[in-house]
Amino acid sequence: MAKREITVLTDASLITCIVQRGVADTVVRAASEGGAQGATICFARGTGVRERLGILGLAVSVEKEIVNIIVANDQLDHIFEKIYLAAKLDTPGMGLLYVTPLEKMATYIPPDIEERFAP
Amino acid sequence: MEIRLGAYLRELTVQQKELSYNDLAPKVERDQQGVELPYRPGRISLRPIDAYRLIRPYVTVRLQEQLKAVIPLAAYLVLFQYLILRQSVQDASIVAGGLAAVVLGLMLFLEGLKVGLIPFGQMLGSTLPSKAHLSVVLVVAFLLGIGVTLAEPAIGALKAAGAIVDPARAPYLYTLLNDWAETLVLMVSAGVGLAVVIGSLRFLHGWSLKPLIYASLLPMIGLSLLIASNSQLAPALGLAWDTGAVTTGPVTVPLVLALGIGIVGAAGQGGSSLSGFGVVTLASLFPIIAVELLILYVGYTVTPEQILASVVAAQTAAETTWYTRTPWREIVLGLRAILPLILFLLIVLVVVLRERVNNAGIVAYGIGLCILGMIVLNLGLTYGLTKLGTQSGGLVPATFQDIADIGNSPLFSFFGGVCISIAFAFLLGFGATLAEPALNALGMIVENLTNGALRKSMLMYAVSFGVGCAIALGVCKILFDIPIVWFLVAGYAIAVILTSVSTEEFVNIAWDSAGVTTGPVTVPLVLALGLGFGDAVSAIEGFGILAMASVCPIIAVLVTGQYANWVARRRSDFEYSRPDTQEAT
Repeated sequence: MAKREITVLTDASLITCIVQRGVADTVVRAASEGGAQGATICFARGTGVRERLGILGLAVSVEKEIVNIIVANDQLDHIFEKIYLAAKLDTPGMGLLYVTPLEKMATYIPPDIEERFAP
Repeated sequence: MEIRLGAYLRELTVQQKELSYNDLAPKVERDQQGVELPYRPGRISLRPIDAYRLIRPYVTVRLQEQLKAVIPLAAYLVLFQYLILRQSVQDASIVAGGLAAVVLGLMLFLEGLKVGLIPFGQMLGSTLPSKAHLSVVLVVAFLLGIGVTLAEPAIGALKAAGAIVDPARAPYLYTLLNDWAETLVLMVSAGVGLAVVIGSLRFLHGWSLKPLIYASLLPMIGLSLLIASNSQLAPALGLAWDTGAVTTGPVTVPLVLALGIGIVGAAGQGGSSLSGFGVVTLASLFPIIAVELLILYVGYTVTPEQILASVVAAQTAAETTWYTRTPWREIVLGLRAILPLILFLLIVLVVVLRERVNNAGIVAYGIGLCILGMIVLNLGLTYGLTKLGTQSGGLVPATFQDIADIGNSPLFSFFGGVCISIAFAFLLGFGATLAEPALNALGMIVENLTNGALRKSMLMYAVSFGVGCAIALGVCKILFDIPIVWFLVAGYAIAVILTSVSTEEFVNIAWDSAGVTTGPVTVPLVLALGLGFGDAVSAIEGFGILAMASVCPIIAVLVTGQYANWVARRRSDFEYSRPDTQEAT
């Protein structure tokens, strides 16, 4: 049996965006338009600015959605910017967005695409 | 020199300014002894523009939800009046204002409910069973059932309907809705209270819903036949069955479920996926029995002559005090609906549980919204939905008979007009139910439960079709003056037969869907429509449409459940008999 080979992708970054419940779809749509291949969404609860806004804090939902998107480094800033604008993160209480550098990742790569890059 | 594409794009497109988080983060502070002081963040003050941008999405999302429920219905009625009946809407500006008040009131009320009352109920549900004896829990559950029913917005619509009934032709119906109105509401709420108690016990002991349904249907049908056999009492029967649909609204369902789930959690029973279901069914069946008992009691103690005498007396002494006139009447009603529930919850929390109210400011804000919303909603019901519903209901018969207000009526031949009326009723029920947000949620649960054998859209269409048929049948009932008891006996007989052959899950979902389909917009509108229609064709009473709208979805869901079972079985047979094709695909 031949030794199995795994193709590992490098130059990838993780964009994580935390928004209020129900906004994740907007984030994913913006990221897809920017060229992202997929997204993982988790439900969560969060605190922070809500408690410090007084009565206005009621307009911020405690329930959040965490959107995880892995993108290529070349796309990174473009998608980052698109998400920031689409989720209106320049408004208080709307959430936050950060990027984590990834060492490597692996997933299914269609054989025809893989062949194109074969050395 | 090689330039990477990413670096190139960054230079071209993104304008990012970097700022170190270190500069923003608070520094650790220590007192004289060098002990670290905990950091206390200050209040954030927003610029007005930021406050506006924060609040705008919050308000628009909630406003849109209510607009989606109200606008299509109102537009349908208005368009029907313009295009088919060729009549303009009377007092159009008042009706439009009323509809706006309904949207605004519902928005405020539901938000207040979410912020102020539901956390209360959940806290009660989770702490009460662990701190108090089961008997205390059941007493609280009973009182909670009464409180939530009084707070239900649609109950007000039922009371308002009493003014239209003609005392000479349906004396008992008239007296129930006027002289006995308070007792009627109390009986309904006692029925809901009892349902909550039985529902809680059912949660604890894991009883099956089927025997409970059979056990409550037997007296219901029996009492109905008894009432129907008395020609004086018979007109009141429709009212009894309509109350079942009225009780399961936006206040009752979440609060009762919160309590029930809390009880199950505290008892340590592993909750099945269906532990939340079933109690809504009981809450819509028990009030019917309670009202039937009240009808019989009134029937044996009061004679029609006494009622007519009291009507004459009431009319001569008809001086209205300030709190019986609009808008004061609506304000008083709004306060009276919400305050007892809040006081009761507070007393239980402070006296029985000895707990403090967390986030008192936010809860007070929620309760304030609830009361304000209820008042605005009541005003909107009076000036908007009820007015429009009565108007449309009163004009629809112009398609087949002579109506004084419309010059060239009847507009169509008798047969054609009746067909148009029935089609109108069907489309109204179908559309209103399809737009109901609660039905969407139910559809999703069912799709998960059946592993996709029963599609969400299929269930939604089935239930909407059921309600559409129900409202069409209800109109037929008023039109041809068929005793409602025959419809109900036939409908529930079919439902019971289907129940006995269905699985427990589907029985739970099907019977609960009856409560789901009748939301806070549909109920007052359909009630008013029925009464207006009944008035125009000079039927004795216009109740019973909602009762039909409760039984038909049950049948529709049970039938689709059977169909889903059949599909699932056929699919597994297919895979079993032809394994090689499975392999090939």
